[in-house]
Amino acid sequence: MATRAEFLERIRREVRRTPGLFPASAAERPPRPAEARAAVRRQMAERWPEALERFRQEFERVNGLFHRAAGLEEVAGVIRDLAREKDAHELITWASAELGLDLRGSLESQGLSIVAAPADGRDDARGRYREAAARAPIGVTGADFALAETGTLILLSGPGRPHSTSLLPDTHVAIFGKDRLLETLEQVGIMLEALHLDAARSMSGSVVSFITGPSRTADIELTLTRGVHGPKEVHAIFVEAR
Amino acid sequence: MSNQASTKPFAERAAVALRDTFLQEALTIATTKFIGLRKDSFAGFPQGEALRDRARAIKEATLQRLDDYLERLADNVERLGGHVHWATTGDEARETILRLCRDRRVKMAVKSKSMATEEIELNDALEQAGVVPVETDLGEYIIQLAHEKPSHIIAPAIHKTKGQVADLFSREVGQRLPADPEVLTAVARKELRQKFLQADMGITGANFAVADTGTIVLVTNEGNGRMVTSLPRIHVAVMGIEKVIPSMTDLMVFLAILARSATGQKLSVYTTLVRGPRQAREVEGPEEFHLILMDNGRSRQIAGELREALYCLRCGACLNVCPVYRQIGGHAYGHTYPGPIGILLTAMLKGDRAVKELAHASSLCGACHEVCPVRIDIPRMLIELRHRLDRERIAPLAERLVFKTFRRLLTSPALFRLSVALGRVAQRPFVRNGRLRSLPLVFAKWTRTRDLPPVATQTFTQRWKGLR
Ligand code: SF4
Repeated sequence: MATRAEFLERIRREVRRTPGLFPASAAERPPRPAEARAAVRRQMAERWPEALERFRQEFERVNGLFHRAAGLEEVAGVIRDLAREKDAHELITWASAELGLDLRGSLESQGLSIVAAPADGRDDARGRYREAAARAPIGVTGADFALAETGTLILLSGPGRPHSTSLLPDTHVAIFGKDRLLETLEQVGIMLEALHLDAARSMSGSVVSFITGPSRTADIELTLTRGVHGPKEVHAIFVEAR
Repeated sequence: MSNQASTKPFAERAAVALRDTFLQEALTIATTKFIGLRKDSFAGFPQGEALRDRARAIKEATLQRLDDYLERLADNVERLGGHVHWATTGDEARETILRLCRDRRVKMAVKSKSMATEEIELNDALEQAGVVPVETDLGEYIIQLAHEKPSHIIAPAIHKTKGQVADLFSREVGQRLPADPEVLTAVARKELRQKFLQADMGITGANFAVADTGTIVLVTNEGNGRMVTSLPRIHVAVMGIEKVIPSMTDLMVFLAILARSATGQKLSVYTTLVRGPRQAREVEGPEEFHLILMDNGRSRQIAGELREALYCLRCGACLNVCPVYRQIGGHAYGHTYPGPIGILLTAMLKGDRAVKELAHASSLCGACHEVCPVRIDIPRMLIELRHRLDRERIAPLAERLVFKTFRRLLTSPALFRLSVALGRVAQRPFVRNGRLRSLPLVFAKWTRTRDLPPVATQTFTQRWKGLR
């Protein structure tokens, strides 16, 4: 095996041998990402209703199921109905603090048992959560961004917000408010640039997931089939009171 | 099983493919469908053309400072607690993974579709080392059970019928299954879910790697990429050095055109950005993250004739539109990377000689250049490749003689007229049903796998005169 220095030296030598095919530069990053982010937020504070409508259209186009709820009670209602429809008795969720609402009160009284992700990674808590995740039919998460252009939910992993909540169950439910709406991939780029420079948050998790509809495949004679590994159904609940 | 196909000459492999009627039909349906989806997707996306230019510029700009970007990528991965391995050759990349498996007592490795691991024929090596490799992309899983190779970058098992898949899965689960894609997909989900939860190691490629943040980007539709990167305790990503891009801003440009080019989707279902191993206080994610940066012949082309092929995103669009690929499919190419770009990538990895026949498996129609999201001029590089092969006298002697004679004839009108008249008489014994099917002597090879129309009874010039 080459050492890092040797390897890079060989590349450097080759790079220096040619000026390249044409003068080119990479995409220009926002020079001050935090300011660019603030500008996007200001823009979206005005434009969110259009963005929401576009999100709904695109999300439904990729077979997502869209709901609108006035507040916590209605959110719980949507989830309760879903659980009934699927004959599900167990849910896994992000930690309440990450979800921004506590579903336990309104759902446990309905006979649903809820396993919320632990807010830290202690081994016993991790094991318990993983077991529940492997068997629960419904997983409930928030969404850090809802991208209108493509109908995409974007989720950051981190303490209390595991990756698998949106991955292992047959049904994934994501809850978000108007402050999460973005219109374009370009805006997502700005948000991610800002996030990576943000020392305080400094991307506490290791994964960012873009989710555009339910898992799908067309690998057998091009027949479109849903839910090959990830969820068969993805629901997005837009909460007005947020 | 691995290189079985490539031991036969290309012409024979192609002839086999041309006789396979299911393959023919499947290829036509699949490629036609992909072409339509791509077209519709770009039709409703006016900014697409400008984004393609930007994507191309980003790839070029990255190559102009590839050393810096790789260094920055490695620094960031290490800062996050990941390990970086520098593999000059494919062998080194493979050895690195095998060593990790040995040291960490890995018994089973789940994989998400990765051309880079196909390139280094990792599965065979893992099996020999006593590690069970499990392909988890449904198409890859099918061909792994069938002991075959992918026939399309995006749809690896398009050459299999649902009946064949039902047979394979039935054998696997010991129960007779119907030839119903829905049922078969559900069976695969159940089988593979167990494997995701049991496996010690997850192995992936990378569609992109963002230098600024140390992020590996995986694009899938099934969700297997997410499973493979989050459930096993070790994650190993293998990537060619050309996959690095500078920033998140750049990444968005590529995401906007990648899925559109491949399947006509605005985005694939899952785009997963992974940084290092599990971070403090996270509930899940791998304990270890390893990134293998693989050269394997790529750096030779930074200042070489195939530089532009280093832009490739592996979207498969150029396969779908290629009249040759549409007829023969991926297996006939006999190497990891099929289609027009595959010819160039094979030359990159294995040298010009490895493609001395394949270099001609293109009509140079330019369709690949037109659809390529980063506008790679594949025809130009193929022509140059043919010239190089010719200069190095790698082309067969008989062929060179024929073309030399041909040139003489074409450059002298008198000689040309004479040869046409002679040809018309000389061909008589060989014309059957209005086609030339087998020619003698140096021409024999030409007609072994091709038919030719006979020389017409009147030349165009003669008819033209008659018309007037
Ligand atoms: S050469 Fe272009 S069209 Fe072909 S696979 Fe690569 S990126 Fe796609």
